[in-house]
Amino acid sequence: MCGFGDMSDLRTTIGAFFVLVGAIVAVTGLAANYEAPLGSANVNLYCGVSMFIFGAVMLWLAWRKSRSSE
Amino acid sequence: MTLAPVDYLILSLYFVFVLSIGWIVKRKVATSADFLTSGRSVPVWITSLAFIAANLGAQEVIGMCASGAKYGIMTAHFYWIGAVPAMLFVGVFMMPFYYGSRARSVPEYLKLRFDEKTRVLNAVTFAVMTVFSSGISMYALGLLFQLVMHWSFTASVLLSAAIVLIYTFLGGLTSAIYNEVLQLFLIVLGFTPLAIFAVMKSGGWNGMAGRLPEVMTHTWAHVGSASENPMGVEVFGLVAGLGFVLSFGYWCTDFLVVQRAMAAESMSAARRTPLIAAFPKLVMPFIVIVPGIAAVALSHMALGYSIPLKPGGEPDYDQTLTTLMAQFYPSGMLGLGLTALMASFMSGMAGNVTAFNTVWTYDLYQGHIRKNAPDSHYLWVGRVTTIVGVALSIGTAYLASHFNNIMDFLQLVFGFVNAPLFATFLLGMFWKRTTGHGAFAGLLAGTCAAAVTHGLTLAESKGAWLGTALHVFPSTMAQNFWIAIFAWSTCFVVTMVVSLMSVPKAESELHNLVYGLTRLPHEDVPWYKRPAPLALIVVAALVLLNVWFW
Repeated sequence: MCGFGDMSDLRTTIGAFFVLVGAIVAVTGLAANYEAPLGSANVNLYCGVSMFIFGAVMLWLAWRKSRSSE
Repeated sequence: MTLAPVDYLILSLYFVFVLSIGWIVKRKVATSADFLTSGRSVPVWITSLAFIAANLGAQEVIGMCASGAKYGIMTAHFYWIGAVPAMLFVGVFMMPFYYGSRARSVPEYLKLRFDEKTRVLNAVTFAVMTVFSSGISMYALGLLFQLVMHWSFTASVLLSAAIVLIYTFLGGLTSAIYNEVLQLFLIVLGFTPLAIFAVMKSGGWNGMAGRLPEVMTHTWAHVGSASENPMGVEVFGLVAGLGFVLSFGYWCTDFLVVQRAMAAESMSAARRTPLIAAFPKLVMPFIVIVPGIAAVALSHMALGYSIPLKPGGEPDYDQTLTTLMAQFYPSGMLGLGLTALMASFMSGMAGNVTAFNTVWTYDLYQGHIRKNAPDSHYLWVGRVTTIVGVALSIGTAYLASHFNNIMDFLQLVFGFVNAPLFATFLLGMFWKRTTGHGAFAGLLAGTCAAAVTHGLTLAESKGAWLGTALHVFPSTMAQNFWIAIFAWSTCFVVTMVVSLMSVPKAESELHNLVYGLTRLPHEDVPWYKRPAPLALIVVAALVLLNVWFW
């Protein structure tokens, strides 16, 4: 178990945040047809998926770190 | 701009995460050093990101986008010339003294290197300035959310202040730093798509350039004389004023940013902090400045988009970013963009409050009011100061909303005080003959020189309050650059002259404080973790970018 202030902790927090927000935004893109005046593509879907992937990578980095310190 | 429930959901989720960071970090805080200096234990990737995030407040993001629309890619000088070289300098040359001296703050370094009066001068002006900036940050937040969302000014100010108070009260500096990093990622992930969409819509870089005056897509081609470019600056004023005096004065001596590097876990990590931070700093213009340039191109395209006008009829560039968001982001991403802005306002406040805290507790309270109390007492003072700092900031925010002139005046005075600072540090760190009397006299003389320069010159009908205008500058920006140059030079000369007339400290008292009397600990690290190779890579990238956008 790593102490607080260890880098894996902040990665976990940031990762969790972006996985959640990414999922919310992506689902919004699929479910609702919100449109912006100049937005042509499905902005929410693309951005949501990107944020989800970013968050997942952060979580994976944190997980790898905590495994190697065990 | 109207929001859907999903936007509020994202905003609330952010608040939950921010508060839980405070809650998690709280368990780590046992001493005043944990609370005020993070106990020098923060990993280098976090300190590096916090180093630039502390400066990347929402005013910066909105302001840079506005300047992009007003001046074009020349605005990138504020990053490439106006930040990166100074960041390299502080990492390679100055950090050994800040970190090696074991000082807990920049004013404390001045105390160790010079004397008590120099420290107090710096600590008091810095403390007042941080409260002021934090208040201005809150004021800007209240104003923005009132304008864009029609929220009540008081509600936005009090809500954001309450959240900042809770997490800094719980976790101190570590909590503030962690939230700065989260905010940086929000800004990057929230505004990169906006930059991409805006540039794509305006036809890529070339399509954009075709719709704009040539001066907007070049950084150096039009700075030969002040009349050629919209900033009204010429190359010497730009490089010496912005690139040297102002930039080094901020990035190398401002405790708010230096504090982030001083929280690093080792000397090597502290030196690498600004160097690693330079990489994201180099590309930041593409996220914050380029959308502003694209906005101008879009407004020439008959898409129904235009930059809003002020009541006077001139464009209100400060609204560029928010109007672009409304054009390109549907509910969902819109909520995320607003959350990113809210987050950077709040971390701007938190950064100032934590820096204020450390300077007040260690430099003023422990230095002058109660010297030898047990550590738990200073931890308590630090916590109470957090509350006081937030309360003072709220007061300043309201002051700003009622007396705009006072704020402009204070900002001007702070500019005078800051301009000469870097001369003092440069001489203090690299010339062992520099004395406390010299430093103090130099700072005062430099501040006076700044005021006199402003009093005797005129720019956009500002200045010349001493009666005559000896010179007229084409823009207030050029005036500021030249004020800085005069203040710095005066401070440099006066510090040297007075130092030579006064008695220097014994060399034995200057170990770890001055170049030549400081031995760097030998650290066995691979080449890519050493300061010099890192700095050289940054320089190469910097040159490349400047040539590319010449």
